[in-house]
Formats: sequence, structure tokens, C-alpha cells
Amino acid sequence: MTALLEVEGLKKYYPVGKTLRGKPVQVVKAVENVSFAVERGKTLGIVGESGCGKSTTARLLMHLIPPDSGRIAIDGQEFGEGRRPVNELRRRMQMVFQDSYASLNPRLTIEDSIAFGPRINGASESQSRRKARDLLARVGLDPDHFIRRYPHELSGGQRQRVNIARALAIEPEIVILDEAVSALDKSVQAQVLNLLADLKAEFHLTYLFISHDLNVVQYVSDEVLVMYLGQVVESGPVEKLYANPAHPYTRALLSALPAQRPSERKTHIVLQGDPPNPISPPAGCRFHPRCPVAEAVCGQVEPPLSDVGSGRFVACHMRIPGSGYSNVQPLEVAV
Amino acid sequence: MTRVAENVVEVRNLNVTFKGEEGSIYAVTDVSFDLAEGETLALLGESGSGKSVTLKSLMRLHPPHKTTITGQVRVAGQEVLSMDAATLADMRGKLVSMVFQEPMLAFDPVFTIGDQIAEAVIRHEGCSYEAARNRALEMMERVRIPSARKRLDAYSHEMSGGMRQRAMIALALSCRPKVLLADEPTTALDATVQIQVLLLLKELQKELGMSILFVTHDVGVAIEVANKTAVMYGGRIIEQGPIDQVLTDPWHPYTQGLLAATVYPGMDRQERLVAIPGSPPRLYRPIRECAFAPRCSYATEACKQPLPPPMVSEGRMVHCIRAKDPAVLAAIR
Repeated sequence: MTALLEVEGLKKYYPVGKTLRGKPVQVVKAVENVSFAVERGKTLGIVGESGCGKSTTARLLMHLIPPDSGRIAIDGQEFGEGRRPVNELRRRMQMVFQDSYASLNPRLTIEDSIAFGPRINGASESQSRRKARDLLARVGLDPDHFIRRYPHELSGGQRQRVNIARALAIEPEIVILDEAVSALDKSVQAQVLNLLADLKAEFHLTYLFISHDLNVVQYVSDEVLVMYLGQVVESGPVEKLYANPAHPYTRALLSALPAQRPSERKTHIVLQGDPPNPISPPAGCRFHPRCPVAEAVCGQVEPPLSDVGSGRFVACHMRIPGSGYSNVQPLEVAV
Repeated sequence: MTRVAENVVEVRNLNVTFKGEEGSIYAVTDVSFDLAEGETLALLGESGSGKSVTLKSLMRLHPPHKTTITGQVRVAGQEVLSMDAATLADMRGKLVSMVFQEPMLAFDPVFTIGDQIAEAVIRHEGCSYEAARNRALEMMERVRIPSARKRLDAYSHEMSGGMRQRAMIALALSCRPKVLLADEPTTALDATVQIQVLLLLKELQKELGMSILFVTHDVGVAIEVANKTAVMYGGRIIEQGPIDQVLTDPWHPYTQGLLAATVYPGMDRQERLVAIPGSPPRLYRPIRECAFAPRCSYATEACKQPLPPPMVSEGRMVHCIRAKDPAVLAAIR
């Protein structure tokens, strides 16, 4: 089975400051060599801390920011400069953002916001309006009550439902959810997560679920991608990755989560320091200055993202035979 | 607790009302709780539940012209609500101090971190600048800021988020307060940094012996730091008691609903989240009845009547007329 969405070697650098001759002084390596594939009907979760490049990756996929390089293909068709037009890409892939208020035009009614997409894509006025009503009902908002309202009249949870309806209005195949439930209170977050699961089944959607909340990512995802400082450090099927994290960073990240029940209190692996600045990241493995098991090789050679079997990939010398690490532990025996 | 600890904080029937442009907002209603020496109480609730407003009442940090506060707030035997301005200023930072969610906004950007800590020490202890700088250095080392001596002369924007929050804690604890108020201090931090700060707070509490009042919306964070919890909803404390008991065996339907709505580690993907329908109440009128009743699946006609006083038993408190109803308890468990 070929993947619905394929991404290869996605890269974005930002210059910081300029010399008198216009050359950048420093470079932020926001996203570097990010590759993944998502099969139709699946959910790929992308996790990582702030500054790891997960949101930049989402924006690059949508071409909201043009990538420096990299290949984005839906159903084998490539999009971007010199390929198929970005408009078509955005018809097939839509996005829901974290800030539900900032992502709606305050001067448009809810109906106008949702109907905008279909109308601009060739649907008639009445078709577009009917679509808006149907979708509002589908995301759990009574159309008669909400259709003429403005974003400021709605609560955060209601606004996020409107954003979801708007994303679905042009019948995309892929929806990118960038921290889409992170700003919501827990009781409302549960409603929206349930809604997303229902919509996925009903419209046969494929999700990219970006979040810093590891519990939620585990709950919604089939596959997970872990990012650190602009790079993918580990990916694989959700159960295996959570049960037996292969990268020391993934392990620390999972261990840092507070227990959600008093009976499950645990001791945490505590990393030193904050995630470093993506301007001039550390040489070798970008995680090595904070890594509890780093060796000399980790500061010198950048570990490639390597296939370690069972659909799992990891960028860590400790898991790569012949890397020069003193005690390479293949994944199966790792505890 | 084996020994009977003295209450450092006693709050009784606290009511806080704000005057807004569109009428009053009844932010906190009839809140009462105690905090003993060395204890940590987590005020747990969603946005708008009144937890931060309650916290700020302990230092009277609300805008005075717009706020009406009634009730009793006693900290180390002193009545906070009737204090004059001078006594209040003496108390802030000395007896009670606070750590905020966003340390970038809490520090003054034009003074160095070291000078801001020293200023607080001089203000409250009247010592020399040198002695105060030494205290600042000691505190920066205590919160484990790397190369603390160098960072005394740093400005807040030169530090990372985690480091700024450590510096904020150093400032808050520089005059050895009896009570530390923490308002979502780790919410803006990344997971790997959050756990560092939570463990640091626990350790400092052991060393310095202060009591902590910790506001959070995150059940996991509350479990990590607190031994008692008070769950807030619609401006009231609806349930309180030892945290293990309250969160293992919740009595109030809202506490139960909040736990059921939270994704927990290892949760089965086939399992549906039990969402609480509707949204939290708006507090534009005094709510005398149960604020949760419109969203509660156990609510009856009686729940629309004014709430009777809370039920207290087994060292716990719950504010719900149906809480001990066998039918409700069976459904919750």
C-alpha cells in the first residue's frame, strides 16, 4: 500500500541578522531533513517541545511557508514550485490552528467563514451556504443559533468546532491539527477529541496531529514522530514507541510526564537544562549535551535516522551497530 | 499527618466580586480552606473557576477600585483583608510571596536579576547592598541556576524560560516566606523543564519548610506537588481533601467528570472519552444554586435550589446534595 502523504527531506533555514554585504550572520535550522509517510485513514502524531520544528513542519506542508527544499506528494503527485499548484494541495489538505480566535476573521459571520472555501472553489452561493449549515450541525453547533454569529460571541470550544467545520468545508483528504485542542479546558477538550474521532470515521480523513501533550498524542495516533531541534529523532507505531522508547530523548520526555492518577506516581528521568536554541545547534547528535548516556562519538558524528525493525526508526548511535558507540543496544533487548 | 500542624493560612467565606463594564462578575463565592505548615494545597480547576482570584486574595493583588472582597483571610495570624497599605507592603514578599505563570512579565526588563532579588531583601530586611547581593547569589545557587555568579548580572530576556522560572523562585523565596503562592508556574514550560521545576519546588519546600498554595488546571501536576487539593468550579470549592483520596475516589460529579474527560497514559484508543457536555458557567450573577447542575447527569430539581452548606466527613468536604446518594456513588465508581 502506498502512502497518501509522502514527505521527503523537508528543510527550512532562517537567516538571523545580516552583515553589511547582506550575508546572514547566523542560521536557525528550524526544520532539517524531515521525512515521513502517512497512510490513508491513519493518524500521524508529531510530538516535541517548543522550538523543535513541529509547527514549522505543518506550515511547510501547507506551503504557508515555502520550504527551502524537500518533496511533498499526495497520492504520488508532487506539489510545490515547478510541480502541481499549491491551491490544489490546499484543497486536499487543510489545517486547524491552536488559536481558535486568531484563525477566524472577526468581521465574518460563522456562516461566511465556513462557506468561503467552497465558494472560492467554484460552488454556488446556495450550495456553499447549505454546506456551512450541514457542517455546523455536524460539529455539534445548532445552525439556527450560530449561523449569523461572529467569532467573539463564541466560547473557545465552540470556535474550535467552527474551525474544524471550515477545514472540512472543501472536503479535504488530510487535516493537519496543529495543537488544535491544546488551548481548551479538559472537559471541552474531551468533547472535541471525540468529535475529531467521529469526523475521521465519517469522512475517511487522514490526520496529522501535532501536539506537545504526549497523552493525547498516544490516544489519537497510529504512528508517532518525535522531533528535537528541527530533526526527527524517532518514529514508529504508537504502542511500540510508547512502551519501549528507543531514543534517550523520547524516554526522558515520556518519563517527565506527571502521573494522572495518585496510584501511579513514579520517579522521573530528569534531563538537565532547557532545549537549546536552534541557532547554532550542538554538533553531532543535537541531543548529546542533555543526554544521560552520551559518549564521545555523539558529539562528533550526527546519527542518521536508521531503520531498527518493526516499522521503527531512530537517530541514536546507541541503537546503530557500527556507529562507534561503546555499547550498542539493539532495540529488542532494550528495556 | 501524624502531628497536628498549625494552620499558616485560614480562609473563611471569601467572596470576590469585580466591577466590570457590563455589570459585576462574581469570581469567587464562599471559599474556605486551611493550609498547615509545610503542606501543599493544589487549587485545581479550569479557566474561570476562580482559582487564581482566590490565590491573589492572599496578597490582595486585585485592582482595589474594581474589587469587593469580603470574608476572612488570615495568614500567620494576621488578617489580610483589613491590613493598611504599609502593613500589606511589608507582608508581600516577606510573609507571603508569589511565583507567576509568565516570569518574563514578572521581572522588570531594565534591572538585572541579581539587583531585583537584592532589592526585595533590602526592602524587607534592611541589610546592606552587599549582604543582599550575597543572599541573591545564595538563592540563585539554591535553585541551581548554572554559573549563578555570572547570571546575577543578567537581564531576564537573556535567560531561557526554565531558567527565568528558577530565578523567579529564587526571588520569591529570598526573604524566607512562610507561604508561597504558585500560579500555574510550570504551564508555560516544556515537559522536560516542567518536571525539573516541580521537583525543585518540592525540594526547596523540604529545606525551607514553607507552605505552598499551588494553582493548576493539570491533574498530573497537582498529583506531583500537593498533598491536599481543593477542586474549584464556578467560583466555589466544590470538593476538598487529601489529594490521593479526592482523585482516587471523587465524591463530586464534576471532579469525577474532570478525571473521566482527561486522557491518561496507556488509554485504549477504542475507549471513548467521557466528555462533560456544555461549557462552564458565566459568573455575571451570584450563583446560589449548584453551578455544575446544568451539565451534571445526576442533577435533580432540588439541585436548582440554593445550595445548603457543604457536607464534611472523613476529613473531606464536598459541596453537592447528591454526593453521598448511593445511586450516584455507584454510578461514579
